[in-house]
Amino acid sequence: MNVLISGGCKNGKSFFAQQLAADLAAGRPLYYIATMIPRDEEDRARIRRHIAERAGWGFTTIEQGKSIASLIGREDVDLSGSFLLDSVTAVLENEMFPVALKDGKAEFLGEDRDAPERVRQELVAFARAAAEAGGSVVFVSDGIYGDSCGYSESTENYRRALAGADRALAAVCDRVTEVTYGITEEWK
Amino acid sequence: MILVFGGAYQGKTEYAQSLCGDAADKTTEICDLSDGGEPDFTKEIITGLDAFALRCVQEGVYPADYFRERRDQWEHCVLVATDISQGVVPIDAGLRAAREANGRLLIYLAEEAEQVHRVFCGIGKRIK
Repeated sequence: MNVLISGGCKNGKSFFAQQLAADLAAGRPLYYIATMIPRDEEDRARIRRHIAERAGWGFTTIEQGKSIASLIGREDVDLSGSFLLDSVTAVLENEMFPVALKDGKAEFLGEDRDAPERVRQELVAFARAAAEAGGSVVFVSDGIYGDSCGYSESTENYRRALAGADRALAAVCDRVTEVTYGITEEWK
Repeated sequence: MILVFGGAYQGKTEYAQSLCGDAADKTTEICDLSDGGEPDFTKEIITGLDAFALRCVQEGVYPADYFRERRDQWEHCVLVATDISQGVVPIDAGLRAAREANGRLLIYLAEEAEQVHRVFCGIGKRIK
């Protein structure tokens, strides 16, 4: 069963998603798809904190911040397992706004205008491949659509692209859940 | 009247069209206020209420009053608004006033609406 989880930031989505992914595993392999590509010490500290929080849950971590569809057919990945992909937001950011690391510092390479369509297709392909293999994916995204101010062009492109990915995933997922302060609302 | 709201880019217009029974052989006429102008209530679907509220405030008109005065004209419509109520308070005083006026407009319309639907990730849910 594939699930899309979204809602406001810092609302308990990740914790809920971890529990759900562990429940869905039911004895099969349980994977955490780590999507953050660290750019500085702040990122590295956050990753250490996330790893500590996941300790004891039984997750095998797969580092995959880009090209999600490349997980299909990999020998060390059992698609009949349970995957937690946290987050769609990070994958899109990594692909739309790639950086090069130079002497430990991130250098922006500009906006990849083909990324929105590519990311949408790869996420949907991964969801379908897992479903066909009898596995499950819990996708975590972020609701960043309630602001009144306009943003820069590239940020609006990003918001539109993330909403597009969310809607494409919502269409192929069996369940769509919004999390608000740990409380869930079922949309599908 | 049916009120449809939700965050930006959530698929609100497509959802409104589905409420109107749009299919391959039927396309409901849409008046999109985000491009400027005043509402054309002869159209079944009116989108971009938030952009219209901003223009009203800039011109010294209270958007809820505008709709109240035309109460008999939009009874058959599906009104579509982007929810702009969830973010940080805008620094710009004009935007701040517009956001408040937009909120008051939607409270009025939600009260008057026969049905209110919220759209999330392309999925709509009737909440009134």
